[in-house]
Amino acid sequence: MGYLWDQLSGAIPLIAHGDPYIMGLLWVTIRVAFVSTAAALVVGLPIGLALGLGRFRGRRALQLLANASLALPSVVVGIGVLLFLLPQGTFGSLRIEFTLTAVYIAQAVLALPYIVALTPAAIQGLPPGLLDQARALGAGRIQLAVFALREAKIGVMAAVIAALGATVAEVGAVVIVGGNFQGSDETLASALLEQFNYTSHNPYASAIAIVLLVVVLVLIGTLTVIQQRTGAVQFRFRTG
Amino acid sequence: MQLIWDEIRKAVPMILHGNPTLFTVIGFTLQVAVVATAVATVIGLPIGLAIGLGRFRGRQFVRVLANVSLAIPPVLVGVFLFVLFSPQAPLGSLHLIYTRRVVFVAQSILALPFIVALTSAAVQGLPPGLLNQARLLGAGRLQVGTLALREARIGVMAAVIAALGVSLSEVAAVVILGGNIYDYNQTLASATLYEVNGGFYADAVAIAIVLIVLILILMCGLGVLQHQGNGLRLRFRSAT
Repeated sequence: MGYLWDQLSGAIPLIAHGDPYIMGLLWVTIRVAFVSTAAALVVGLPIGLALGLGRFRGRRALQLLANASLALPSVVVGIGVLLFLLPQGTFGSLRIEFTLTAVYIAQAVLALPYIVALTPAAIQGLPPGLLDQARALGAGRIQLAVFALREAKIGVMAAVIAALGATVAEVGAVVIVGGNFQGSDETLASALLEQFNYTSHNPYASAIAIVLLVVVLVLIGTLTVIQQRTGAVQFRFRTG
Repeated sequence: MQLIWDEIRKAVPMILHGNPTLFTVIGFTLQVAVVATAVATVIGLPIGLAIGLGRFRGRQFVRVLANVSLAIPPVLVGVFLFVLFSPQAPLGSLHLIYTRRVVFVAQSILALPFIVALTSAAVQGLPPGLLNQARLLGAGRLQVGTLALREARIGVMAAVIAALGVSLSEVAAVVILGGNIYDYNQTLASATLYEVNGGFYADAVAIAIVLIVLILILMCGLGVLQHQGNGLRLRFRSAT
């Protein structure tokens, strides 16, 4: 146990004194999580609402597709996005490969399935009469969507937290599109990969792990509180 | 799109002509996925049944804990095991770091929460009267467990598929503990990372294509299960 204690005791002063490297990683991680989740929301919420409320042909097939996209491996998304961003690629002229912007894009792509798949699930979990009543009372499409969103807000919030959790913990795509450059586009999770990969593990590694654990626990805690308070559908989220 | 097509055009012959390194990676990945899922199932099934069926104090808390364990980032599990297995540490004498064995160990541990949490959810989803009836008719613990497992088999199989999916696409813990050593202990996901780092995009794309095909096969399996599950659930409802 002495060894484990040594690891921890080296890490705690780093966190307590707000080591600039670790605080920088935390700041990048928070920015990546919020920017990419916000982008995924802007794109995904209308799609999710259309899938949840729409009554068009092929809706079920599209919803299956949305569910399946949750299983996309992050390294596959990473290489796919990178090939668009490389100088010879479609968006190569933007010169954003191996930058924080590229990380935002890749993480937004990974966060999108959570919003698109879990929003319809939340809407379909509403009492069946509710939306029909609104339709019968003459609500237009926009009104209906706003109403459904307000009623299903717990489920949508759970989807947002799931997306935040995925973007915080994910490493495969971050490393591939960002190149994992220290101090610019490294997140807490991807820095851990670096710390353990090429150097012997050091107090920094343990400190980063502890900060990441705290961030994830805050997210999980929020989700659990929301669920317990509402007794709503159990949403689980997986990270990785 | 030009670049992506170019890389895919280079990648497809590699797969078709059976590039030996690629096939080593595929073989190892399948071996890891199957063994890790099997180990996780053997250990996790009894735990999941106990959590789902048990009527002990604090079971609600244990169920929340099982769900939470799904959200622990693999990178943190990797770091924790690295500290535990490193030479000076309590389990250092096992000499696991940077071996093939450690990849099996890591993936088994990462697959375990899926089996435990989803099995417990599946048996909790059974019609409440069913198990009480069995208990009333004098079934012992083991018999109730067997009955619940048989009735909830669709959910349990979905858990197994989820565990397989994680073992296939997880990259963080595998890289931290295994060291991502070329032609030795790389899985499809970690090999993608390795090839991109080296700038071998065609190789990375080839591996990514194989990975996505395997994931698609799993998704189809899940789709078939869900299809059967609907029928089963209906029958349950009419029976109670």
